[in-house]
Amino acid sequence: MPKNSKIVISMKSLSKRFDDEAGVLDALKNINIEIASGDFVAIMGPSGSGKSTLMNIIGLLDKATSGVFELDGVDIASLGQKQLAKLRRDKIGFVFQSFNLLPRLSVAQNVELPMVYSKKSAAERSKKVTEVLRKVGLSDKANNKSNRMSGGQVQRVAIARALTNSPSLILADEPTGNLDTKNGIEIMNLLRDLNKQGVTVIVVTHNPEVGDYANKVLSVRDGEIHNKQVKK
Amino acid sequence: MILQNIKMAFISIRSAKLRSFLTMLGIIIGVFAVLMMIGVGDGVKSQVSGQVSSLGTNLLTVTSGQLGSTSSSAKNGQQQKASGGGLNLAGALGSSTLTQQDVESIDKTKNVSKTAPYNIVTSTVGYQQLLTSSPFIIGTTPSYSSIRKEEFAEGRFFTEEENLKESNVAVIGADTKQNLFAEGIAEGKEIVLRGQKFSVIGVIQKADTGPSLGASSDDVVYLPINTANKLSGSPQIFRILVEVNSAENIASTQKAITAQLSANHQGQEDFSVLTQEDLLSAFNTILDLLTSFVVAIASISLLVGGIGIMNIMLVTVSERTREIGIRKALGATSSNILSQFLIEAIILSVFGGLLGLGLSYLAGILVARLANITPVFSLKALVLALGVSLFVGVVFGVAPAIKAARKNPIQALKSL
Repeated sequence: MPKNSKIVISMKSLSKRFDDEAGVLDALKNINIEIASGDFVAIMGPSGSGKSTLMNIIGLLDKATSGVFELDGVDIASLGQKQLAKLRRDKIGFVFQSFNLLPRLSVAQNVELPMVYSKKSAAERSKKVTEVLRKVGLSDKANNKSNRMSGGQVQRVAIARALTNSPSLILADEPTGNLDTKNGIEIMNLLRDLNKQGVTVIVVTHNPEVGDYANKVLSVRDGEIHNKQVKK
Repeated sequence: MILQNIKMAFISIRSAKLRSFLTMLGIIIGVFAVLMMIGVGDGVKSQVSGQVSSLGTNLLTVTSGQLGSTSSSAKNGQQQKASGGGLNLAGALGSSTLTQQDVESIDKTKNVSKTAPYNIVTSTVGYQQLLTSSPFIIGTTPSYSSIRKEEFAEGRFFTEEENLKESNVAVIGADTKQNLFAEGIAEGKEIVLRGQKFSVIGVIQKADTGPSLGASSDDVVYLPINTANKLSGSPQIFRILVEVNSAENIASTQKAITAQLSANHQGQEDFSVLTQEDLLSAFNTILDLLTSFVVAIASISLLVGGIGIMNIMLVTVSERTREIGIRKALGATSSNILSQFLIEAIILSVFGGLLGLGLSYLAGILVARLANITPVFSLKALVLALGVSLFVGVVFGVAPAIKAARKNPIQALKSL
């Protein structure tokens, strides 16, 4: 990665403790990571390792118990729910294992949803929808319903949706988990292409083949970063 | 954003048409019932006020008992009666306190142009083999007809001479004539009341004002008052119709008659002198009371409809937990989610209200055709229907919307 590129994610001695009726669980312990703009990062680890918790915190869906987390230079500890929602909307594009498109909406309506929440005008929205659908190779499917499409296509729609607000990073949680090998490879190639165009990508996975696409692999085990590996 | 929420609401309502319709049904029925009741009530009111005003604004009615006392005395700026508000029908329905002396006093009062005392007799009316008990049988004086400006399809009203002679003559209304004589000529025929024969000397032209206070003013038999008193055996004056020479003198004449009759009755105001307006307001008081009672009952269905909406919205929120999670992950704030589900509830409710409005409009046309009452749907009713259904939507939509907005996105995304 380029030496002088901007830091998108910075975590310092971050920890997360769940304390409820079920007992106390230290899901994350003393996490220190930096992810720069343009990185392709894989967060890997077996289930129960804490990688999902880490992803939720990076995705601003959850908050750390202690430590510092800065997203794009913004310390999020002090932010309320509403500001977190706005930050999610503007800085993060989610891609889920189970796609998570809204089945009643058309492809275009799904893709424009983040822009609806950021109050973009209809003209702006439709222009952007056309642009990102072209990027993922689904220009002709704008008016389809997602339940009439293949899994690979649906995941591409989800990636298009993640791109619409030009986020600082794309956060993909097992993006190939529900796809066959061929479609899985297609999706990973698409993410790699987007990364080459400058999009920061973080993939959470337990699949080593998916990890191979990343230039930086963070292995999580028992709530700690077990291994940081930088390729190339 | 709101526009988008409305669009979303329509998408989800359309995706579950039957459920949405069933949810709206409560509101549809509620709004329909309320509007029909108000519409019919207003329809009857406007018909009656049309009838009353067609008689002229220069009429006074003197009746036994205290009727609408508070309204008239307050209007005249006098002290209010101790009995307070409300309506005492007992005085009007009991044995009359009015006398022939009262009639003569009123006759002599300044600005009074005509008086017509009248009395109601109970009897069946027979002609040959036919017998009817529906007509109002009124004993009165010849001036009654001229005060009411009646026109005749056949013959004439009776004269003062016939009254003095207690002649057995009768004038009948158009409906009574239709019932007994069908298309034939009634004049000169003999009808039977309480075993006595009466010769029909006139038939009154059908009024075009429809039913009055529950009884048709066209189903009526007029007898000379002296004849009626002899027939019933208990001379009474039920009411006195008074024509004042000009509408401007109504208030002063009303006062003068009240004072004169008070003197006649040793200071006891056991009678009422009512303008057409007073009569109307007395009638409207009763009708408003009835209408609001029925509307209150109908409103219960609105309440039930609202609960139905809340119920379905709660189910919807549970079913769409995952959608809520997705939306929150994509950047929806809690208030975005709240407004989405609130607007969906409001649209269900308002749409139901509009359907109820349309339905009551159609039913109104049907009622007008079948029942001789034209329901009136005022702007007030329209605003009420929309306002109430909006209100119901908000009130019963808030709880499910709050539930939706409070969902934790991580949990919500895990749900099926």
